[in-house]
Amino acid sequence: MNISVGSAVAIEQDAARKQLIAALVRVAGGDRGALRLLYRDTSAKLFAVCMRILHDEGEAEDVLQDVYITVWRRAGTFNPARASPITWLVAIARNRSIDRLRSGTGAKRMQAIDEASAVSDNAPSALAQLESSQEQQRLIDCLSELEPRHAVAVRSAFLEGVTYDELARRMNIPLGTMKSWIRRSLLRLKGCLER
Amino acid sequence: MSDEQTTGSSDATLVAGEYVLGVLSAAERGAFEARMAREPALRTEVEYWEQRLGVLASELKPIDPPPQVWTNIQTVLAANGARSGLWQNLLFWRWATIGSAAVAAASLLVLVYVARIPTPNAPLIAKLESTGGQSGFIAAIDSGGAGLTVVPASALDVNQQVLQLWLIAPGDHPRSLGLIEPGRPVHINLPAELMQRVAPQATLAVSIEPQGGSPTGLPTGPVIASGKLTKL
Repeated sequence: MNISVGSAVAIEQDAARKQLIAALVRVAGGDRGALRLLYRDTSAKLFAVCMRILHDEGEAEDVLQDVYITVWRRAGTFNPARASPITWLVAIARNRSIDRLRSGTGAKRMQAIDEASAVSDNAPSALAQLESSQEQQRLIDCLSELEPRHAVAVRSAFLEGVTYDELARRMNIPLGTMKSWIRRSLLRLKGCLER
Repeated sequence: MSDEQTTGSSDATLVAGEYVLGVLSAAERGAFEARMAREPALRTEVEYWEQRLGVLASELKPIDPPPQVWTNIQTVLAANGARSGLWQNLLFWRWATIGSAAVAAASLLVLVYVARIPTPNAPLIAKLESTGGQSGFIAAIDSGGAGLTVVPASALDVNQQVLQLWLIAPGDHPRSLGLIEPGRPVHINLPAELMQRVAPQATLAVSIEPQGGSPTGLPTGPVIASGKLTKL
């Protein structure tokens, strides 16, 4: 493990985070130039979030537009002491995408059971590990303590935003079992994260 | 397993976790959001999970959205800003002068008009509507009639071109009033010879022109917005 590269990444992450916080604060004050900066720095990430849930470019573009308009209106509610800026933005993008998915305008696409990719997601590349923040590393460690299929379910639920029903169908297990997997995983994750 | 036993607080943690994970149905999401509005503790649980699970998103490879998305965002914000700011203030001003002397000076146009309240001449304005029916620009003639202010009501992407403002008096050909900006209010001094043509029923129009403005003295590009001057 190259410590100096790791700490350089950490410093860079911290600078990026501060820059995003500053942009959000200016957006809260009605600064459209700051919104442009925020969009420039975060839209590709949020678009990926929307695309992963909606699997449709047109839908994802609509939702992304809606996300930044929401950000413009709600930037004043962002509290840097309680949330990291990117996580706050990701939460808005996920909520909007999930609402759109549930509203049914996004045609229900039967996703093939994608455990292979979910499993490969489960094992982030060495580079991703190096770049990951402490918080990320902590979550990755705690996920690895779960039974592998449970971890796949949690990760897949989060990234794809699918319901219990859909998740159970995709992984070919009964609904009740899926609910119990997820709930047990949530409690174990919380226990692990607070250890 | 002992960790499956649920107490009151772990129930809140669980349902918040399910909400954040995204496994709830539309009805369950709605019910949870309603409950969260009543129980601030749930909001804290949601923030906990958003913060902890949110890092999973860092695994996604960024995808650049098409440029149209940003253009749309600007358009929506500019249109909303104009509607909630400018027009409401205009309407408010109108009612205020009819009904009472209470005038809230909140926008540029209100300030322009305040000077005219005691005079019998109502101020001249034009709402220049774009072809889509949306308000493209709002123009207001100065109280003395020597100039006008043009405020864009929605964002425009004019690329490498410019916007030119035209005055068309009834029976007259278009006369240039100069270049305006797509993203901010512009004040234009009226040439003396045009001042008398600035009257009710004259039309203001905006066309897209090459850099430096129309080379012919008449609109050469598409007219993107127009409207008649009327007394407020």
